[in-house]
Amino acid sequence: MQILKVENLYKSFAGSGEVVTDVSFEINEGEVIAVIGPSGSGKSTLLRCLTLLERINHGTIKVAGETMVETTPQGRVVYASEEQLRKIRLRLGMVFQNFNLFPHFSVMRNITEAPIYVRGLSPAEAREEAEKLLAKIGLTDKADAYPYQLSGGQSQRVAIARALAMKPDILFFDEPTSALDPELTGEVLKVIRQLAAERMTMLVVTHEMAFARDVADRVIFMDKGQVVEEGTAEQIFGGPENERTRNFLRNFNANHKLD
Amino acid sequence: MSIFQMPTNAIKLMTLLFNGVLVSLQIFFLTLLFSLPLGLLTALGRMSSHKWISYPIRLYILIMRGTPLLLQLIFFYFAPFYMLPPGFRFSLPRFTAAIIAFSLNYAAYFAEIYRGGIESIPVGQYEAAAVLGFTRTQTFFKIILPQVVKRILPPISNEVITLVKDTALVQILGISELFRVAKNESSRIFSTTPLFAAGMFYLFLNWIVTKVFEKAEKKLSYYR
Ligand SMILES: Nc1ncnc2c1ncn2[C@@H]1O[C@H](COP(=O)(O)OP(=O)(O)O)[C@@H](O)[C@H]1O
Ligand SMILES: [Mg+2]
Repeated sequence: MQILKVENLYKSFAGSGEVVTDVSFEINEGEVIAVIGPSGSGKSTLLRCLTLLERINHGTIKVAGETMVETTPQGRVVYASEEQLRKIRLRLGMVFQNFNLFPHFSVMRNITEAPIYVRGLSPAEAREEAEKLLAKIGLTDKADAYPYQLSGGQSQRVAIARALAMKPDILFFDEPTSALDPELTGEVLKVIRQLAAERMTMLVVTHEMAFARDVADRVIFMDKGQVVEEGTAEQIFGGPENERTRNFLRNFNANHKLD
Repeated sequence: MSIFQMPTNAIKLMTLLFNGVLVSLQIFFLTLLFSLPLGLLTALGRMSSHKWISYPIRLYILIMRGTPLLLQLIFFYFAPFYMLPPGFRFSLPRFTAAIIAFSLNYAAYFAEIYRGGIESIPVGQYEAAAVLGFTRTQTFFKIILPQVVKRILPPISNEVITLVKDTALVQILGISELFRVAKNESSRIFSTTPLFAAGMFYLFLNWIVTKVFEKAEKKLSYYR
């Protein structure tokens, strides 16, 4: 089943002009897509458009067959009704670069609050689900801790659990390990790998090339707001066709051998 | 003439001042009761993206913070009489006028404190809440406001301490609060003792205010 369909998406900002230019792609159920590209190429903006944090200027987005937004032949961008958008939002999960945990809630409450007040679970049900998720991310003993007591890696794992607790159809990650000390990236990537093994549908923006190569079914390379190249991990990392992709990967490898 | 030598006079004086304290406390609590929520509404209006809401509120805040509270007391007492056309004129009771002036004045100060607090919450908190599906109202009351309260406690406590002392201003309307009572008694018995005692009362009240805020800050120190 098709979970996400993006067609001819454009997004511009008053200050910076066009940031996402004519992006189209699809994600099917159970697929893991990695989005790579230089900083400033519009990866975060794309994710923010897909999760309704930004409004697009042109294009179509469909989630599990339901239209989130479409553009009339006259060029008018039409979003679904608020009620419809609320339903669509429930299908989308997001993990942010800097976690954005709620500092005044315990780990447990970070995970259970939305299931209780948005999905309508009873506190007991929400707790039970949260306990399973905590076991899965290996943080059962941190249920009563507060975010300031967690390491970056633990925080990000809790953020993943918080997103999973809403049972989304697709999970978006915006550079989930970029804010972490290098020795902490492994524990977060391990959780994402585990989700991939369980066939969770995911779109991961990342600079972890080895990880992308292992985990992603398909890789999208973005530059200057455009999808420059899209293919399987072997195609993109093994023998990219586009000059810009090759340059990016060559520079990336060179920089990362230096440090 | 020391109060220690004249126990009966001392008790009389204390009773007198205590009645004044009760009036001051009424002004204090009623002002907080009205100005704390009004300040929040004012802050939200001030941050509105609609200029026809935010501009009048900016003007209101400017006037309230930019003119003496003493003048505002006089204004709210006399305005309904002098500024309305004949036939519509009325006068507010002194106490009511005082509460209106104080509430509107303190709401303006609180509004700016709330605004500072609300704007200091990282945008990521709103975004995380939005993606989780919380409504705007849920986001504000569950996620944002509790964090704001923690951040604004110190500046709010400043204002509340000032409010305790500002209650003395309502004597301009002839209300017998603590300071006026003490001043009159002072002239009558030709001694500064009542004024000094009134000072001790203010100090004591603010010691309690300080303790209450310390306790509240401690209670919210379970997270950072
Ligand atoms: N809210 C915004 N207002 C104006 N410009 C923005 C905004 N968000 C992002 N941009 C600009 O869009 C471009 C792409 O940014 P971003 O999507 O964050 O790229 P990436 O995630 O690939 O590093 C950048 O030039 C950035 O300055
Ligand atoms: Mg980014």
